[in-house]
Amino acid sequence: MEYLGQYKAVYKAKAGCEDILAKSQDGGIVTAMFAYALETGIIDGAIVAGPGAEPYKPEPMIATTVEELFASRGTKYSVSPNLALIKEATRSYGLDKIGIVGTPCQIQAVRKGQLYPVGLRDVPDKIALALGIFCMENFPYQGLFQMVEDHCATKIDNVTKMDIGKGKFSVYTERGVNSQIPLKVTHKYEQPGCHVCLDYVANMADISTGSVGTPDGWSTVFVRSAAGEAAFNKAVEAGWIIAESMDGVKPGLELVEKLATEKITKNQKYLEHRAHKEHAALKPLRNPYT
Amino acid sequence: MSKVVEISPTTRHEGHSKLVLKVNDEGIIERGDWLSITPVRGVEKLAIGKTYEQVPKIASRVCGICPIAHTLAASEAMEASMGVEIPDDAYLLRMILQCGNRLHSHALHDILTLPDLYLPGTDIKVNPFSPEEPVRSVAKRIQTLRMIGQTVGEIVGGEAVHPSNPRVGGMYKNITPRAKAKIYDLAKQGIQLAREQMEFMIALEENYMKRDWAEMCGREVAIPQTLGYHNQGYMAAAPMYGSSSLDANPEWDPARWLEVRPWDWYMGEEEITMDDPAYPVGGTTKAGAKAWPQMQACTGVPLYDGQPVEVGPRARLVKYQNYDRKGAMGLNIARAMEYMDCMYKMIEAVDAIDTSAPVCADVIPQGDGEIGWAANEAPRGSDVHLAKVRNGKVEWFSMLVPTTWNFPVCSRALTGAPWELAEVIVRAYDPCVSCATHMIVLDENNKLVAQKLLE
Repeated sequence: MEYLGQYKAVYKAKAGCEDILAKSQDGGIVTAMFAYALETGIIDGAIVAGPGAEPYKPEPMIATTVEELFASRGTKYSVSPNLALIKEATRSYGLDKIGIVGTPCQIQAVRKGQLYPVGLRDVPDKIALALGIFCMENFPYQGLFQMVEDHCATKIDNVTKMDIGKGKFSVYTERGVNSQIPLKVTHKYEQPGCHVCLDYVANMADISTGSVGTPDGWSTVFVRSAAGEAAFNKAVEAGWIIAESMDGVKPGLELVEKLATEKITKNQKYLEHRAHKEHAALKPLRNPYT
Repeated sequence: MSKVVEISPTTRHEGHSKLVLKVNDEGIIERGDWLSITPVRGVEKLAIGKTYEQVPKIASRVCGICPIAHTLAASEAMEASMGVEIPDDAYLLRMILQCGNRLHSHALHDILTLPDLYLPGTDIKVNPFSPEEPVRSVAKRIQTLRMIGQTVGEIVGGEAVHPSNPRVGGMYKNITPRAKAKIYDLAKQGIQLAREQMEFMIALEENYMKRDWAEMCGREVAIPQTLGYHNQGYMAAAPMYGSSSLDANPEWDPARWLEVRPWDWYMGEEEITMDDPAYPVGGTTKAGAKAWPQMQACTGVPLYDGQPVEVGPRARLVKYQNYDRKGAMGLNIARAMEYMDCMYKMIEAVDAIDTSAPVCADVIPQGDGEIGWAANEAPRGSDVHLAKVRNGKVEWFSMLVPTTWNFPVCSRALTGAPWELAEVIVRAYDPCVSCATHMIVLDENNKLVAQKLLE
C-alpha cells in the first residue's frame, strides 16, 4: 500500500469519552490521544490549532491542559502554521516532550526539522508525539470565507461545523440549517501550494487519523511508529480510545487508498507539468522533491 | 641585547590574535604587545541608518560566546537613547539570561585554561579531553554547567546563542509557570556543581601560584611570583548585570572615557629576531619576519581617566567586594569566585518573576537623537554600547567591548614574565578577540583607510 505510507496497524476508532466526542470533527482521536498523553506524561504540551481572532480562522496554540485541548476541537479548513511554535515550545514554554498535530506537510516539516535542524536547536529530541491528519487540500482564509459566505450563503459567525466529504463541502449551523456546495466550486480557492503535495494520510506521523474510510462519528487511524504504537495501545487499554478492526468496515481502506492514489497521481502530474518538458519555450519551475 | 619573538596565532581563546614580545637574554619579557589580528567587521559603521530593532540583533553576532552581552547592551543603549523604561519582569528575565550566559562562559573558559594548570601535588598538566579520572568527571561537570547555563538562556532568552527574546522595550515573551519550574530545577542541579567546580578551579590556580616552574617547549620555565601583574587599575559597572544612562546613579561615566588609536599605545615596526620551533604546537614566527603592532592591531584603545583599565571578574570583585589578588592566577580565581553569584542571582530573579506580568513597555518613543549608553557586565567585563536614535533609526553607534579594554592592559601585564608563559597571562583575561575587534579599518596593505572620529 505505497499510497498510504508505512504503518503497523490500522483501526476504526473513536474517543471513549463523550465530552471529547461532543464537538469533535469525527472520532475525536487527536483530542483523545493528546488528552491521554498529557494526563500520563507522554507529552507535557501539545501544539494544536486553537481558535483565532475570526471564526474558523485557526491560530496555533500550545495546550498544556485538557481544557485547552478542547478549545481546538473541530476541523478549520484554513491554514494554521503550527510549526511556528515548534521552537518556542522548547523555549519560553519550557516543554520537554512536545505533542504536535498537523496536516501531512506539517508532519513532513516536523521530521525534516528533526533530521536537518536548521535554526532548530534543541527541537529534534523534544518531539514526543506527532499526530497527522489526512488532508486532500487546504484553503486560505479568504477563500474559505468566500465559500461559506458567498457560495453557501451562510454567515461564518453562525457556523458550528464544516465538513468535506462525499464530493461536497458542507456547513452546519447551530439552528440546524445546513448548506452544501459541490467540491468543484471550491477548486479555485485551493492553496496553489497544495497542488504539489504527494501525501494524503500523513505518512510521516507517529499516528495518522482522518474521516475517510469509516462511518460518521468514527475515524480511520494508522498507527505507524513504535512511539505511536506504544501510546495508542496504552490509550486503548486505558479506555480513552475505542479501537476496532477495519475488517469489513465500509467504505474502508479501499476508499482511503483510492483517494490517496487520486491525490498523488494528480499532483505528480502537476509536478511533471511544472517541468515544462513539452514546451521548450517555457522554463522549468523549481521542484522541491529533486 | 633584547630580542623579538612572536607567537602567532595565539590559542585557547576566542578569535584571532598574536603576541609580539621584546625579551631580554633570559627570555623575560621587557615589553609585550598583545594585539588583535581579527579582520574588522565594522558593526558600528554599518549600524548607521538601520532601525533600532535590527542593530542589537546584528551586534549580537559580534560574538557567539557572549552574544547576550551585546544583545542586552545594544538594546539597552537604544532604550537609554529613546528613554524607554522596561517593565520589572522584563528586567528579571534579562537578569536570568545574564546569569545563564556568565555560567556557561566561565565554564567554557575552564576548558580553555585547564591545559595550563597542574593537578595539585603532581607534575601532570590537565588535559580536559582525557578519558582518565579525575579529569573525566571534571570535563563532564563543566559540560553539565554549560548545559544548564545554555538551557536557562534558551528558556528566558529564546535562544542560547544570539538570544531572540530581548527587544527594545523589554522582551517578546514572558515564561510559563512550567518554564519557571524548569529553571528552578536546573539551578538546583547547578548550584552544587558550580560550588564543586569553583573549589576545583581555585585549588588548581592556587597550586599554580605555588609552583616554581611550568613545563613549556620541553623545558622547565620558571614561574615568577608576579606573573601577570600590572598597575592599570580596574573598571566595572555592576557586580552582576550592568548600568545605563537611565539609572538614578549610573556606574559608568562617559566623560572619563576616551578612545585612541593603537598608534599611541603599541610598539612600532619590529623585526622578529628569535624563534623557537619547539613552542607547542608548530613553533613561533620565523626569525626575519616583520611585525608592526601599531598598524596591525585591529582594535581601538579605549582609555578611562586617560589610561587603559582592566575589566572582567577581578575588576568587579575589586570594585564591589575589595578583592585584592593580583596577577594572572588572581584573575582566574576571581572568575571562579563568580560561579556562585550566577546561581544565587538566577534563583533570586526567577523567584521574583510574575509569569503573567507584561514584559514589554506600553509606549516606545522613537528617539530624538539624544545620546544614551548601557554597560553590560559581560563574562569578560564591562561591555559599553553607546547610541543615538532618531525617528527609529540609529544615527550613531559605538561599542566598547571588554576585551578591547583588556588588550593594552594585558600587554602591560606581560612585562616580567618568561615569554613562554605569555599565553597563560593572556588566557587569564578570557579574551574574546571577535568582541574586541571593531572600528579601525585596514586595506590589503595594512594601511589605515578609516578610523573613528571622536565625538
